[in-house]
Amino acid sequence: MSGSDTQNAGQQQAVCLEIRDVVKQFPGVTAVDHISLEIEEGEIFSFLGPSGCGKSTLLRVVAGLENQDQGDVLIAGKVVNDLPPYKRDCSTVFQSHALFPHMTVADNIGFGLVERKIPKAEIKKRVQAKVDLVNMGGMEDRFPHQLSGGQMQRVALARSLVLEPTVLLLDEPLAALDRKLRKEMQVELKRIQREVGTTFLNVTHDQKEALSLSDRIAVMKDGVLLQIGTPNEIYETPRTRFVASFMGASNIFVGSVVDSADGNITFKTEDGLKVTLPIPADGAVDQISGFSVHPELVELQPGGTDALPTGPAADVLLAGVIKEIFYLGDFSEISVQLNDADIKLTVYISRSCGEAEAKMTQGQAVVARFPAESMNILVG
Amino acid sequence: MKKKKRIAQKILWVLSILTLVFLWAPMILIIVFSFSNNKYGSSWEGFTLKWYVKLLSNDQVRDALTRSLIIAGVTVVVATFIGTITAYGLYKLNFRGKQFLRTSILLPIVFPSVVTGSALLVFFTRLIHIPLGYPSIIIAHIVFCSPLAVFIILGRMQRFDWAWEEAALDLGATPFRTFLRVTGPQLLPAIMASAMLIFPWSFDDFVITYFVSGVGSTTLPIYVFSQLRFGATPVINTIGTLFVTITMLGMLAVYFSQKMGNKKSST
Repeated sequence: MSGSDTQNAGQQQAVCLEIRDVVKQFPGVTAVDHISLEIEEGEIFSFLGPSGCGKSTLLRVVAGLENQDQGDVLIAGKVVNDLPPYKRDCSTVFQSHALFPHMTVADNIGFGLVERKIPKAEIKKRVQAKVDLVNMGGMEDRFPHQLSGGQMQRVALARSLVLEPTVLLLDEPLAALDRKLRKEMQVELKRIQREVGTTFLNVTHDQKEALSLSDRIAVMKDGVLLQIGTPNEIYETPRTRFVASFMGASNIFVGSVVDSADGNITFKTEDGLKVTLPIPADGAVDQISGFSVHPELVELQPGGTDALPTGPAADVLLAGVIKEIFYLGDFSEISVQLNDADIKLTVYISRSCGEAEAKMTQGQAVVARFPAESMNILVG
Repeated sequence: MKKKKRIAQKILWVLSILTLVFLWAPMILIIVFSFSNNKYGSSWEGFTLKWYVKLLSNDQVRDALTRSLIIAGVTVVVATFIGTITAYGLYKLNFRGKQFLRTSILLPIVFPSVVTGSALLVFFTRLIHIPLGYPSIIIAHIVFCSPLAVFIILGRMQRFDWAWEEAALDLGATPFRTFLRVTGPQLLPAIMASAMLIFPWSFDDFVITYFVSGVGSTTLPIYVFSQLRFGATPVINTIGTLFVTITMLGMLAVYFSQKMGNKKSST
């Protein structure tokens, strides 16, 4: 069960988990729909998507707790399709922790080592090392019901890590924790991963968690893999409408290119709003189905368009009226009704913004302004 | 309105007390009279232990008691085992007719004992020729006791976190080792509870046993019944006391084991 005999010489980043064209169907629903991806050694990889998108099912397929209907799962280069969970070189941290209630912390962590018939003294040593790793020193003899949610999560993590799996699978490990603790455990998870260097495959529906924790993210919806990329790529350049809105880009313009001339294209939204902007460097013009703009990239200026000095040519200017202001503490969310089309634009104004913006009120005429390059092209 | 309510309350009080009296008085009387010097065992004439001495020196009683204990012991072990694996299968496996099977297991509990008893007798003697005596009695007892274990253990399984099993498998335990180290210990309180309920069920049973016992395999309840034909004797009182005590001990054990189990599994 050791992964050491499958080192890929010559390749810098060995692929430690490969999913090839996996399909998993449940009665009436395709939970995983032809998904293929590779996860490299030592990275934190997240499956991100709303509940019911198939991310947990895919994780369970990897763990062997579900059998796929089609496709292969390879761990450390070996096809493990026919191996039961207890013979796969991966270990799962469950959302409910699933700590054994009749065993102490130490016995829980040592559970898998006992199954591997490792001598008692050795088990004790390895368990102690992992107890220290997850900062649970002094609690070895407690029972799970005497632990807090965060502590149970640490024990569950240690119980899996002690087996030194090729891949550690985390099934929404932080979902059951409250917000403050979740943040704390995110930091802990990252520290522990950097310390042990194990590949982490994390499942989450929380885009913030995925962004802050992961090296790479795969966004899923309805069993389909929509996009894989670094947190940066996923957040700043989502390729589809769903990914854009899921990652918080609430300004999404759906439409098509109606004209292109002199290096500029004219894009017309479904609501009739026309925007002219330079041809994107990488874009195949006819595939463009929309644009998205993150609310924090939009600036607001009081007054109508005529009152403004014309900005740099690359800026998009849209006149509108402030509909609603939501004060959220560290920033305010402002909803602007555009004059030319039935579109509401969402703008985030942080507290550090200028005075003019801080004084804006409901019903005021404003101009929303953002650089054309901050518009992200959507193709689906 | 208020007056009406008060009257209703009073009626409820009287009913409750009457129920308790009819529930407890006979048993308390039996226990009290078993220590009484009266030779009909029906009034108090001073303390004595002679009926207990008589009970112990009575070979028929000793035989019947031993027989009842052996039958109850075997029944408890076998019925609990069958009940455990049946409940596990009913909960974990998906197969055609599962719901039907689950409901049909209830039948031995809801059928009148007379029906079950006579049906078993016909089945044993006419069809499969099982000798009446220990074999027939034990099989009959297992038949009506196993469903009890199935339902107690199924009840525990509803509150079972099946992620425990998955976690064990995931950590490298085979299905058998998983049952041994995780599922089994978690179900143990329920298994013990069903064992402790089955014991008095089997030990006390009269009707079904009466049908299938045949000649010469008298269990304690049947012995008591046969003695009553000669009128109530003080020895009957001592046997009654014995039954009540054993059953109460069983119930107490169930109570405490469940209390412990709840404490352990509550997180």
